[in-house]
Amino acid sequence: MLEFETPAGNMYAWDDEVGLFIPFSLEMRAVINEIANKESFTKEKVVNSLKENFNEDDIAYCYDWIRKWKKIKPQNSQPQNPRTFHKSDIRNSVLRFGLLRLTLCITEDCNFRCKYCAYSNFYEYTRNPSNKYMNFATAKKAIDYYFSLLTEGKRYNPLRKPAIGFYGGEPLLNFELIKNIVDYIKSKYKNFKTVYTITTNGSLLDKETANWLMERRFIIDVSLDGPEEEHDKLRVYTNGNGTFREVMKNVSSIMGAGYKEIGCLPVFDWRSDLFKREEFFNKQDVPRVQGAFPVDDVEGCSYYQQFTQEDFLAFIEQFEGARNYYFANLDYQIRREKASFFDDLIGQAPKRALFRSISIYPHHPLMPFTGACIPGRKIFVDVDGFYHLCEKVNNDFPIGNVDEGLNFEKIYKLICEYNDAMDKCPECNVARRCGCCYKSFATDKGFLCSSNVCKEVESDMKRSFVDTFDIAEKYPEFVDEFNTKHKNTKKYYGE
Amino acid sequence: MYFRLNPECYLIRGEMCGAIYDLIDEKVYALDQHEAKLLTSCEKNNAVQGDEKYLTELEMLRLGKFCQNKIYVQKLRAGSPIREIQSEPPSLYRAFLEINNICNRNCWFCGYNGVKRSLGCMGCNKWNENGKTLSAAKWKAIIDDLSDLECKDIFIIGGDLTLVWDKAINILNYANGKFRNIYMTLHQQSLSSNIVNDLTNKVKLIIQTESLNTLQYKDSSILMVMKPQNWIDSDNTESKNIKIDFAIKDTNSLSNDMPIMSKGKILPVDACQFIDNIEYHPCLGHSLAICYNGNVIPCPMMRNHTFGNVSNEQLHTVFENSWEKIDKIWKLNLDKIEKCTCCEFRYTCTDCRALEENLTGKITGKSLCSYNPKKGEWLQ
Repeated sequence: MLEFETPAGNMYAWDDEVGLFIPFSLEMRAVINEIANKESFTKEKVVNSLKENFNEDDIAYCYDWIRKWKKIKPQNSQPQNPRTFHKSDIRNSVLRFGLLRLTLCITEDCNFRCKYCAYSNFYEYTRNPSNKYMNFATAKKAIDYYFSLLTEGKRYNPLRKPAIGFYGGEPLLNFELIKNIVDYIKSKYKNFKTVYTITTNGSLLDKETANWLMERRFIIDVSLDGPEEEHDKLRVYTNGNGTFREVMKNVSSIMGAGYKEIGCLPVFDWRSDLFKREEFFNKQDVPRVQGAFPVDDVEGCSYYQQFTQEDFLAFIEQFEGARNYYFANLDYQIRREKASFFDDLIGQAPKRALFRSISIYPHHPLMPFTGACIPGRKIFVDVDGFYHLCEKVNNDFPIGNVDEGLNFEKIYKLICEYNDAMDKCPECNVARRCGCCYKSFATDKGFLCSSNVCKEVESDMKRSFVDTFDIAEKYPEFVDEFNTKHKNTKKYYGE
Repeated sequence: MYFRLNPECYLIRGEMCGAIYDLIDEKVYALDQHEAKLLTSCEKNNAVQGDEKYLTELEMLRLGKFCQNKIYVQKLRAGSPIREIQSEPPSLYRAFLEINNICNRNCWFCGYNGVKRSLGCMGCNKWNENGKTLSAAKWKAIIDDLSDLECKDIFIIGGDLTLVWDKAINILNYANGKFRNIYMTLHQQSLSSNIVNDLTNKVKLIIQTESLNTLQYKDSSILMVMKPQNWIDSDNTESKNIKIDFAIKDTNSLSNDMPIMSKGKILPVDACQFIDNIEYHPCLGHSLAICYNGNVIPCPMMRNHTFGNVSNEQLHTVFENSWEKIDKIWKLNLDKIEKCTCCEFRYTCTDCRALEENLTGKITGKSLCSYNPKKGEWLQ
């Protein structure tokens, strides 16, 4: 149990075995310690042992309740050793649960040189921008293989829809290939309802290109960070000039056409002005915020070395201010139709903290720890036709190629290596909440041990628990509203 | 002073009253109007005003606790309500395989005669319908499909299976080991020691009968069909592994204390079942039936709702082409059913949609219940 206390003085604990928070108290801690030391202790003995320090009724209550709570049996609580699996298990799992998206890196070229780019020199283990472009033959092989797996997998998962993502570099630098690929899928795989997505910097989304994408119902994710001064601080052309004006002109035109399948993915760092961004993303002609992310601080990243302690403290102060502002105007935030910057950054945080982790049910036995997927859940293809885990993991862990398909033996070995590196996880008190995955541990020589990477994880998590419950205590209806699936359980509460 | 129910205890409100669902000890506590109102106020984090005695009783039952401050209680759940589930496979738990439609008997309770039954899905029936019976090879292909879809339990049913015994055993042997449970329904009169021997350690046998004194075998249970007027409260059927299958002409013939009308319908749930019931129908959810002629329907007794036919296509194709229809039926939870929608027992109650639809003429109709949730009264 990981205990924490809110500013209001209430104690709670995270029970990682069950995957839920429970109300906690000093009495509860004392009783748990007593039972842990002497499992056979009766209630009377526990009460006798603790009555000098606590009220007898409270001790009895805690004793009974802890005994009751321990009746919850997390399903399959004994994790199976992943080494007992075979590569065919991986294949079956991929056919059943995987193949959610085929992401094609259709060029490593980019007309921007964003200062925080994952392919910049700040990241030791990722590639650098290049002038490589994917050709149609490579893309065709990847697509044919993806659809062949989908066809084979239909009997395990008939509800899955193909999804093709275009990624770069800047994918619109290779727009001809996008058009050829979409035409090819349309003619050869017309019985599939394929979903297309593109992650773009927005600078090449001229009217003609945008119309073509909109006609094919592309989901367009634009990397737009905020107003001009914020955006141009970090997102610049190769010549160092700001990119905002061109991007905004193109985005406004799409918004003006009433197109709904467009969103922004702003990235911020410790010198970003959060309030200016919030104001910007509230404007009508700016797309909704799909997700707001800090610059990724993974293994081998030196981006944050440029900041001072003062920068960090100023950012924390600003963030606190943003949080206070958001919740002070909660009625307004709830009524708003479009998701803003603060909605994702601040409003969604309690939702993720309270409802995202899986309770009672176990992790997949092949991947017992962290939030890592089974490779093949998504497939990322680089310009040369090599398959990788996803766009966020460096290229040192290829899992196949367009000529030979996915290499399930390699995936199996990779899973074993990864699980071996997760040495801290069996004892971790917040393992069920873990959001780490391959990218958090990947170097160019394998995976770092979780005992090296996750040193502060419990104390970091504890801080986020305090923040979450501080909000939940003050605004319980607001946080529960997120749980739309269970809304009916509160029917008639208001009457 | 505040009072909050524990994480494992949900307060479910009806229009008038309420109930506490204890998901660990699997108990349901009915609350009257006053208690429901008081507890609703507590669960909304209002300070306790009066009637601390009742709340103290709840504390003594370890259902909740007084506290000095407003606290946030995260409720017990299974899984995650917001996790993005992208294109997960359908969760199929039960499938009925009606591998035959021939029977030489003319039982009064048979589906052929249009009799409405409360557990007819598990019983033996034949149907006055068109279509050729699927071959054993086709049934094996269906079994492969079900296995690949990770279906948990199958029920082998249809007419008198002993008339096509070689086929039935052939199919059963093929299915053996592919599912968590395999059930097979046979009429009592069809049983012989040879038949029972053929089934030993392979299936859980459901014996269709009209007599309480039917001989039971290892891994068998009794499905006893009965007219409501013959039901006697004192029959200790559950402990004898006997399920009563009421043949119902109309609701007027039913007394309010019968198990399909009374509190006997309420079966307390654990966290997994509760979470499932919030979203899915307690019986139709995660179920399918495949008729002798290949029709795929929600339940063996709901012959008018067809999702597709597996004579010329595979089962996964039916899922692919008719998912919206299937999902709509599976998610016909009791929040969508007349009367149940305002009842505090809606996530812990049982419900036979096939029978209700037959009796009321509506897929969301409700007649088999003696509780009035608008008044909070059980009719005597």
